[in-house]
Amino acid sequence: MSTLSELAIAVEGGKRNDAKLFTQALLDQGLKPLAIVEQGLVPGMASIGEKFKNNEVFVPEMLIAARAMKECMLILEPLLAAAGIKPKYTAVIGTVQGDLHDIGKNLVAMMLKGANFGIVDLGTNVAPEKFVAAAQEHSAQLICLSALLTTTMPAMKLTVRAVRAAGLTSAKIMVGGAPVTQEYCDEIGADGYSQDAASAVDLALELAATC
Amino acid sequence: MQRSYYLGLAEVGLRMPIGTHLILHEAADPAAIELDGQRLGDVIVRTAGRFNTPLAVPLMDLKLEKEAMLAARGIAGGQIDSYHFDELPAEAPAFRLTPRMLATCEAIRHVAKHPDLVPMGMGIGPFSLMTKLISDPITPVFLAGTGLTADEEPEVALIERVMELGTELLLEYFSAQIDAGAKAMIICEPAANLVYFSPNQLANGYDIFDRYVTAPMRRIKALFDARGVDLVFHDCGELTTGMVERFATLDAAMLSFGCSRQLWEDAALIPKSTVLYGNLPTKRFPASQLSVADVELLAREMLDKMRATGHPFILGSECDVLSVPGSEGEIMAKVEAFMKC
Ligand code: B12
Repeated sequence: MSTLSELAIAVEGGKRNDAKLFTQALLDQGLKPLAIVEQGLVPGMASIGEKFKNNEVFVPEMLIAARAMKECMLILEPLLAAAGIKPKYTAVIGTVQGDLHDIGKNLVAMMLKGANFGIVDLGTNVAPEKFVAAAQEHSAQLICLSALLTTTMPAMKLTVRAVRAAGLTSAKIMVGGAPVTQEYCDEIGADGYSQDAASAVDLALELAATC
Repeated sequence: MQRSYYLGLAEVGLRMPIGTHLILHEAADPAAIELDGQRLGDVIVRTAGRFNTPLAVPLMDLKLEKEAMLAARGIAGGQIDSYHFDELPAEAPAFRLTPRMLATCEAIRHVAKHPDLVPMGMGIGPFSLMTKLISDPITPVFLAGTGLTADEEPEVALIERVMELGTELLLEYFSAQIDAGAKAMIICEPAANLVYFSPNQLANGYDIFDRYVTAPMRRIKALFDARGVDLVFHDCGELTTGMVERFATLDAAMLSFGCSRQLWEDAALIPKSTVLYGNLPTKRFPASQLSVADVELLAREMLDKMRATGHPFILGSECDVLSVPGSEGEIMAKVEAFMKC
């Protein structure tokens, strides 16, 4: 008998083959796909996120864990889709115009995915209008902007302005990246800032709940 | 150059930012200048003059080498940023210097006409170049660190092949800069850091770091040694002490680290023949929360602490100081503050 906690541990440890086997075994035991996501994969990712926040593990371990989760999702996603189950919230994420740094953005995307958000990843060097169009198209609750350069922080401001101008009142904007601060977030009128990928999940859940 | 030259600059208390971007962006048409070797050379000369240093530092732009690698395969324009190799690239087509690279070489040639200046070259390091060419380079590096080989894991084979091709390209580009007159080469390896190499994995040994970072750098250093050119090695990523110890073995004329390091603590790890350079938090210069007085304080503290170590030191920036539209005055005021406090 495989258990959900074994699955969570395999995901956290980045053991993708074990994680896939546990996922299949849990399905064979009759567990619902959504339960496997919420009680196996999500706790596994949450646990590694917490360790990342405390500097017990680093980016490579996070990516290995995310890859294990992704492989499990390849098994689960068709079943979830067939049952008409969609993630409760959708987040559009990208690195702002002019900026090509994507490691931090990818980690945030991964952690949100690990918390069962639907993710629309627009990549790097994303123009304000592209954020707006994607948020409209996917009815996103969250728009997540990353910037790593002082020279591209103004593009973050322009993106916030474009989202507001488009009247996307139901979407909340989260910002982050090494040079970004809570003060800057307030100054440009974004809705929330967080310093790392694990805290970004708490903030995202908080903001999405108010949409 | 004689190594005593750099030690002499440290001895007389040289201070300087990596400031070419700041001066370039005082012009109305920076993009046009980047393509015009003569004018770019003038900007480099003017930068050295403005900051009162004989070290003529080219523009740091770590996009050029990826662009060249892709141009050789017919990939250009808007595709470059998002292009990544997802399968083993075939034999490398002959690589040609791109217009930006030609302008950089021409600029060095122009600088070399000034006998009072040390013409320097610039480029990305082999590991950082590889990370730009693969969509997720971190996972295969980690897998290789667990002992998986290129024969066992296709992703490991991919990063190793791309790194090999990239290193070949860099050796050619650096040779062209040396032919143009560069007497020292600034090599930037910002991706050689703990985002790409897990400290947990390194705790069991630095073999993976040595294979992927130190060894390719030694190949490049061998070229520089053969051509009588000095290495200035720059890494503004977050570093472990073990990484710093390895960079210390590169026999660089200068080592430049970002703010993750306390240079006065690292001094003991670095040979006295290598000047330490850095590392004021220049990425915070555009923010008003860091005042001119704060910068002066940081600079004085750093100078005091470095003096106490007795290690040759040049006070400067943590990376290149970028010109931020609307904050040019604020940034320059802080650069000037550390130059003279
Ligand atoms: C790796 C790196 C690169 C790599 C990027 C590879 C990649 N695929 O991303 C390469 C070599 C390509 C690169 C290029 C450049 N870089 Co660079 N780079 C770095 C470096 C060393 C690490 C960045 C990183 O990945 N950190 C790790 C991740 C995990 O951290 P993070 O991004 O901060 O993300 C975390 C949080 O901030 C947060 N977060 C991030 N995004 C978001 C979004 C939301 C919504 C939320 C809630 C949270 C959040 O969560 C993340 C996880 O916890 C930094 C130095 C540093 N120590 O930060 C310089 C740095 C960012 N680079 C710098 C520079 C100058 C450049 C170049 C301009 C150099 C040049 N002259 O060519 C180019 C820019 C190219 C461009 N147009 O973007 C400077 C910027 C200085 C400034 N004034 O802004 C830095 C700070 C170096 C320095 N010390 O000066 N770089």
